[in-house]
This record gives sequence, C-alpha cells and structure tokens, in this order.
Amino acid sequence: MTIGPAELVAVTLARLVRDGEVTCHGVNSVLASLALLLARRLHAPGARHVAIGGGLDATPATLPRSSSGPAWLAGSPVVLSNVDVYQLALRGRIDLMLFGCVQVDRHGRVNSTVIGAFDRPKVRLPGGGGAAVLFRVVRRIVVYRTRHDPRSLPETVDFVTATGNLERVVTPLAVFRATSEGLRLEGLMPGATEEEVRRRTGFAVVSTPDCRPVPPPTADELTALETLDPERLRDLDF
Amino acid sequence: MTGLRAASLGVPFEPIPGLHGTDLPATADLRTVRDPWTGEEIYVVPALRPQWAILHVQEADAQGNARIFGSPGYDLLMARAADRIILTTERVVASEELARMPELTAISDLTVAAVVEVPGGARPGDCAGCYDVDEAGVRRYLEAVRSPETLDAYLGATR
Repeated sequence: MTIGPAELVAVTLARLVRDGEVTCHGVNSVLASLALLLARRLHAPGARHVAIGGGLDATPATLPRSSSGPAWLAGSPVVLSNVDVYQLALRGRIDLMLFGCVQVDRHGRVNSTVIGAFDRPKVRLPGGGGAAVLFRVVRRIVVYRTRHDPRSLPETVDFVTATGNLERVVTPLAVFRATSEGLRLEGLMPGATEEEVRRRTGFAVVSTPDCRPVPPPTADELTALETLDPERLRDLDF
Repeated sequence: MTGLRAASLGVPFEPIPGLHGTDLPATADLRTVRDPWTGEEIYVVPALRPQWAILHVQEADAQGNARIFGSPGYDLLMARAADRIILTTERVVASEELARMPELTAISDLTVAAVVEVPGGARPGDCAGCYDVDEAGVRRYLEAVRSPETLDAYLGATR
C-alpha cells in the first residue's frame, strides 16, 4: 500500500489514544472514527469508544461511511443517545476527543463556524456541534486538519468556535503541541521538511526542543488500516 | 440541547460549562450568571420551547405511544421540550403489543397530537433497523433545495 496523507493522519491520531481512555469524536469524522478503531485493535484494546451514533465499543466489520449512523450500534451492548454522550462529557467522563476543524490558529483556537465576518460570511461552515463546551470539559482535545496551508493554519482564526484543552494538532505535514505560548512544532510527518511546514503555515513556526520526525506507519498499522477500511473511505476528506 | 433541556424542566434557562473565550455567546445573546454558592460566573442558555416537535419513530400505536429503536438522538429531549408532538411512524402497532413490554415505550401519548403512518418517512436519512442512509438520495435532496421550483418538483416526485 502506498502511504499517503490519509494513512499518516489516521495512524498519527490512533497513536495518541492511550489504553483505558474513554474516547469520542464528532459527526462527519471518518478519519477520527477509523483512528479509534485502529487504536483499539492495536495498542489500546482497553480504550472505550463512545460513538455519537449511539454505540459503545462498537465493532463494525468495516469502517462505516457515516460517523453517526446506526452502523455504530454493531456489537454494542447499549444504545446511548446524543444527549447521553454530551452529558457524559459535561460530567468530565470523556478523556480524549478527536475533532476535525477548518482552521486552527497560532494560539490553538479552532474555527468551524464561518470564513469571513459572522454576519456576512464568505463561507458558512457546519458549526462546532458543542465544541465551545466540549473543549473545556473533555480532558484532552486533539484536532486534525486534512490540509496544511496558511488559510487552515492562520495567525488568527476568523471566528473562535472553541478554545480550551487542546493538546495537539495533526495535519498531513506536521504535529503541533499546544503550549502556554501557543502551538509548537513537535513532529514532522514522513516526507515533510521543516522548510515546507514553515512555508505552508500562516503563523511563525516555532519548534519544541524535542521536535523530531514522526515514525512512518508500521506494517501492522497498515495491515489493520486495510482490514478496517478496505473501501478507502479515509480518502474522502482529502 | 441545553435550551431544550431547560424547556423540558420548565425552567427559564439552564447553566452550561465552557463557552468562555469563544465568539459564540455574542452571536446567540448568551449571558452569564453567578453561581449563588461559589460566586463563579457561568453561561446560561435560555429555554427553547417549540410549539411542535415532529418526530419519526419505528413503532407507534394510534394514540401516540411510541417506540424508538437505535439511537434516539435528541428525539426524547425534543419530545419533552415541545408543547405538542406529531409522530410519523414506520408502522402503526396495536396498543396491546406495546403493553406487553411498556418499558420499551419511549414517548407517551400525553402530549402527542397526531400519528401518521409514513413508511420510509426518514428517507433519504437512516432509520435504525429499517434502512440505512441513501447517499444518492441525500445528493438529490441537496440539489432540489437550491430553488423553490426544483424543491416543488422533488416533493411531487417523492409524494
């Protein structure tokens, strides 16, 4: 299998899942749901996967096309409503959320609401789906973006949809870590150079002292990806 | 969700954690109150009380007692927040059948105004246990809603 941006983002997200954590993701998040299935199959079999489609630790035969449909009930011993999932988060019982976004800025603030002014938007985006609250009550937030360009990673977002417990940002080129001084370049994806990341980022890139290359996907990771997602739905967001 | 929950409880607003540091409160006129015990500021969301909720279910009796299979999503919250409910259902079933396992009934007829049997009523969306999302159908719908004329034609063809 050739290793493209979808493999890099899915595998990197999966590696951030810790065994035993309670995890979730938003709607329309094929890469995030694939990453959680992957992590549970490989290094984090004890991670709990709360699907917005209602399932707990669902075991669909292959990755469902919808991140929120009834396919996420397969193998689940319980049905959780959307209200159950949000209330679990509000009580501080979700450890990790993987969250796709359109823009994330130097300060780690996320925009999924509008491009342009709120009252006269150039593009009206899907909205945060509760992110403004979730970013404060979920312990670790990992944001991903399938493009790495100055508009996706600007100095300042057009609209602050969510800000709070952001931990990392994953793109096809890089991994950033959120610090008290803003985002810091922590890892370079295979094939990417620091010069390229600087050129394609809308803010001044500062590296962490321990910045290093992200190890390429292993044979085990690639095999699991192929088994879980034979239709390559992971390419849909690119 | 918070506004619906406030309505379902009959209170004028409900507090919600988070939101600070974002641009959302300004766009929706969300305001803060002080926790009377700790003095901490917290955002509150005003009650959202719909006159009607229109909910699609898998099974309902003619009176409006309904079962929902799969995830109820936000349906139960909407059912409890709205003044009255219109149910559309895949199947109308006998009340005696619901009475055999009343714990499976999610919505009671107390606030249901009408029950309409509409097999396929959630299409092109999904309905757990009945059908999955129809992606081509969603695309046709998105094309159709671009203008009143195309929407009329779409609704005529779907009827």
